[in-house]
Amino acid sequence: MKPSFSTRAVAFLASAALLAVTACSAGSGTSSGSSPGADQKLSIGLVAEPASLDFTTTDGAAIPQALLGNVYETLVKQDDSGKIVPSLAKSWTVSPDRKTYTFDLVDNAKFTNDKQFTANDAVFSINRVKTAWTTSLKAAMDVVSQAKALSPTQLQVTLTKPSNDWLFRMTTRIGAMFSESGVSALATAPVGSGPFKFSKWNRGDSIVMVRNDNYWGSKPFFQQITLKYFKDATALNNALLTGTINVVGTVQAPEALSQFTSNDKYQVIEGTTNGEVLLSFNNSLPLFKDVRTRQGIRMAIDHKALLDTCWAGRGKLIGSMVPPTDPWYEDLTGVAPYDLAKAKSLLQASGAAGKTLRLRLPTLPYATSCGQVVKSQLEQAGLKVAIDQLEFPAAWLTTVFKNADYDMSIIAHVEPRDLGAVFNPKYYTRYDDPTLQGYLAAADSGDEAAQVDNLKKAARRLSEQAAGDWLFLLPNLMVADKSVKGLPTNAITENFDLSKLAR
Amino acid sequence: MKRLNPSLIAGGVIVAVIVLMALVSFVWTPYDATLVSPASRLLEPSWSHWFGTDKFGRDILSQIMVGSRTTLFVGVVAVGVAAVIGVPLGILAAMVRRWPSEVIMRANDLLLAFPALLLAIMFGAVFGASTLTAMIAIGIASVPSFARVIRSGALQVMRTEYVLAARAAGRQPFPIALRHVLPNVTSLITVQASVSFAIAVLAEAALSFLGYGTPPPTPSWGRMLQESQEFLFSAPRLAIFPGIAIAIAVLGFNLLGDGLRDRFDPKLEDRR
Repeated sequence: MKPSFSTRAVAFLASAALLAVTACSAGSGTSSGSSPGADQKLSIGLVAEPASLDFTTTDGAAIPQALLGNVYETLVKQDDSGKIVPSLAKSWTVSPDRKTYTFDLVDNAKFTNDKQFTANDAVFSINRVKTAWTTSLKAAMDVVSQAKALSPTQLQVTLTKPSNDWLFRMTTRIGAMFSESGVSALATAPVGSGPFKFSKWNRGDSIVMVRNDNYWGSKPFFQQITLKYFKDATALNNALLTGTINVVGTVQAPEALSQFTSNDKYQVIEGTTNGEVLLSFNNSLPLFKDVRTRQGIRMAIDHKALLDTCWAGRGKLIGSMVPPTDPWYEDLTGVAPYDLAKAKSLLQASGAAGKTLRLRLPTLPYATSCGQVVKSQLEQAGLKVAIDQLEFPAAWLTTVFKNADYDMSIIAHVEPRDLGAVFNPKYYTRYDDPTLQGYLAAADSGDEAAQVDNLKKAARRLSEQAAGDWLFLLPNLMVADKSVKGLPTNAITENFDLSKLAR
Repeated sequence: MKRLNPSLIAGGVIVAVIVLMALVSFVWTPYDATLVSPASRLLEPSWSHWFGTDKFGRDILSQIMVGSRTTLFVGVVAVGVAAVIGVPLGILAAMVRRWPSEVIMRANDLLLAFPALLLAIMFGAVFGASTLTAMIAIGIASVPSFARVIRSGALQVMRTEYVLAARAAGRQPFPIALRHVLPNVTSLITVQASVSFAIAVLAEAALSFLGYGTPPPTPSWGRMLQESQEFLFSAPRLAIFPGIAIAIAVLGFNLLGDGLRDRFDPKLEDRR
């Protein structure tokens, strides 16, 4: 029988209701997750999945976030205040000329392939950075002239020149210690000496780690921790609400935070990070070689309005590549204040006005959101901006990061003390400034006061030269079940230390 | 004279309003639909912003008006792709001998078994998310329904006396298809186009919602829904207005399709 018009009207209303329900539920977690259930299991929701598990050949902050400090350990590490403290090295001494470091290593550490950790593994790991690593971060090891095992528990590292930066870099991924017989399948089966063992990687969904019961140090509380990855910010929040995960490792929908702050079941943690959200310029392009273009773009952006609009006002305006937790931080937001008239005249003078710039964005919530504000604000200053979204990490890393095929992009640089790494001619920013390199060299080789002084100068130089535009500093926003303990207030290292978590 | 039925009138009116809204948006919208205005973010509906504003301070009514262009554009191109491929395939399957026809229809069944959204997501992942990718994927996914419907209509036409007479007179298959079969399946094409249009509108909204459709900041009803997720509890209107727009558009094209079918299908004549 043919349905009547009134029947169709009822059907329409039912469809509309269904659509509304779909809209409400579509954001809920779609991936089939392991339900934590037992007290000894924990599931953490994160936003960017690694492209590979091998940070020796693949860039991206997601790999060390998951593996460093958990599967891999370093000789030294940073504590919560940023101070360098022992890890696999019990102690160390520095020669008077500041070129020779002697480390005393722990004697009871074992890799998860049952091999003992010795000074030979440390020598192998340090040398391997220079010979087998392919990422740009390997440059931090260039200063090492020789690494030598004095005994199974004593390592001597000689530098070509004094370097303030080198020991700090040893707390990051380039300081990771590998077993000589455990590097054959780094991309899929990492072997380390850390408190957790890599268990499995369900691509597109999760990484599972289990407690390393043979760990030489204090054993973690949780027997199993699952890192679950969500592309959608609301799905991430919904996963916590529905019990699929226990922790939102990084809130990507800050506007929706109120649903947790008003609920006694959850704790909300708000601190700071190293994540400078950078509007990067391809400084190798003729248009961006003109400082007036770069300064014009910086002055066309109302950063306060941008932060309020795209990240609910959470985060901090910084004005350069240094977060407030670094000793050389200065508030440089006043260097290029929002001034639309001046921005227009600078862009006119440089010939950029009316030109179309490609803003190639990774598919990350903050980038998608801030990109729309940046486009709108730059267009008011006379530029044309074409937004192009690239799937993160694979497409963005290949197109923007590796091939520098972009005009502008937006990405958070979460590596600690990354000013020199980000702004150099070999990095995707293609920023070549001898003056800046001079400050960085002086900071690296000088004493502590000279380091602070020169890095302040470097940060100011970057800001004045508008090598990029620092939209804001990401806040450390976490939400978790009230019972979860040990979550960090600040996220100032490139790893997420899972060993401190407990219930 | 045939009496107009309520479905046809209601569907026609709704579709006309959407088309008019899209045309008007080329020359006028209350505000610039993509202009970010932090001072006006998340405003409640008022006389100055009838549907309120979103988190970027953009006027929702203006976005819905401009979004209707995306909806219609996707629908037209997707249905065009489906018709251009599906209609000749359907006619060919009706006119050729048994086994080539079987090959065409089984290949058709194979494509039909593939979920349209999955196909579109696959296209988006391979070629990059864009309106063009979405349109082509939705169009290809709609080919089987065109081919199947047109084949059944063409088979009936092939059995008519004037076609038999043309074949007896030695007319070649191509002129028969062009002069006799195609004009007699036009009503079927129109009805199928209308129904497929509704499906395309819904598919584009779903793809944009999932991030595989129209990229920001081009207004799209599906992406408006996606961006409203954060505010479902604090500002549900951000989801309600584009949701209603999608529902009405789908209803309009479905009613239009039903109405056209009722009008063109002689078998339904005695039921009216």
